[in-house]
Amino acid sequence: MAYELSSPDQWLPLYGDILYRYAMARVRNPDVAEDLVQDTLLAGLKAKDNYAGQSAEQTWLIGILKHKIIDSFRQSARQKTEEFDEQMVALEDEGADFFNQKGGWQTGFSTWAKPEQSMQQEQFINVLQECIDRLPSRMSQLFVLRELEGMSNEEICEVMSISSLNNLWVMLSRARVQLRHCLDINWINQ
Amino acid sequence: MLSCKEVSYLASQKLDQNLTRWERVGLFFHLSMCGVCRGYGRDLMAIREKLRAMGATEETLLSTSVTLPEQSRERIKEAMGKALQNTET
Repeated sequence: MAYELSSPDQWLPLYGDILYRYAMARVRNPDVAEDLVQDTLLAGLKAKDNYAGQSAEQTWLIGILKHKIIDSFRQSARQKTEEFDEQMVALEDEGADFFNQKGGWQTGFSTWAKPEQSMQQEQFINVLQECIDRLPSRMSQLFVLRELEGMSNEEICEVMSISSLNNLWVMLSRARVQLRHCLDINWINQ
Repeated sequence: MLSCKEVSYLASQKLDQNLTRWERVGLFFHLSMCGVCRGYGRDLMAIREKLRAMGATEETLLSTSVTLPEQSRERIKEAMGKALQNTET
């Protein structure tokens, strides 16, 4: 079945909110998300003659948005990266905050009794999003690209200008510890 | 025996690449004795599954109450209108 595009002046009322949420969940910044929605719709307008009808209109627009999001990550990565990465890796070596000197957990985690069940609750989703938002911005970008977009390690290093796979893994590990800690405080002990 | 800190790193790395045989053995022994790290590894997997499933759809983690602000909606509408005019002429 071939899909058809609706009139471009319908895109904003039909998909404005969906595109905005999609962008916000990834870039976290309302101003950036708004610009991405506009860029996406304008790019769609330019590309509409090439639309082959192979995906639904919404999917097609989200496909364009995905590229725009990755471009914006790439741009923000150009600004300050190496310094941040070095600091993060050094911090990790010290084991700051989350581990004691012997490398044991500093913060006694409570365990999720039944993650599968709690996972399904909408409230949990909200807390998860909030915790992703609280990560330092570069870390949350890496985490989003890896977990939400499922990008490969190498692609992420390229997009985010990370100098080595090892640095990426240290930062991802750090992001996961922080995220787990945030969930522990805000969800698990609720 | 690996420390919890080392194990937290391996549990994370396991989601990003294949571990070496020694890393797998070290992880296995530690996890067999440490409930906290077992829970940690399990939670990371659960978060991964949830987010990957979410990423594969056009849904987001955000509630539908998050909407494009009216001001920028107007701005985008205007920009689209201009662009449409240009394509027509």
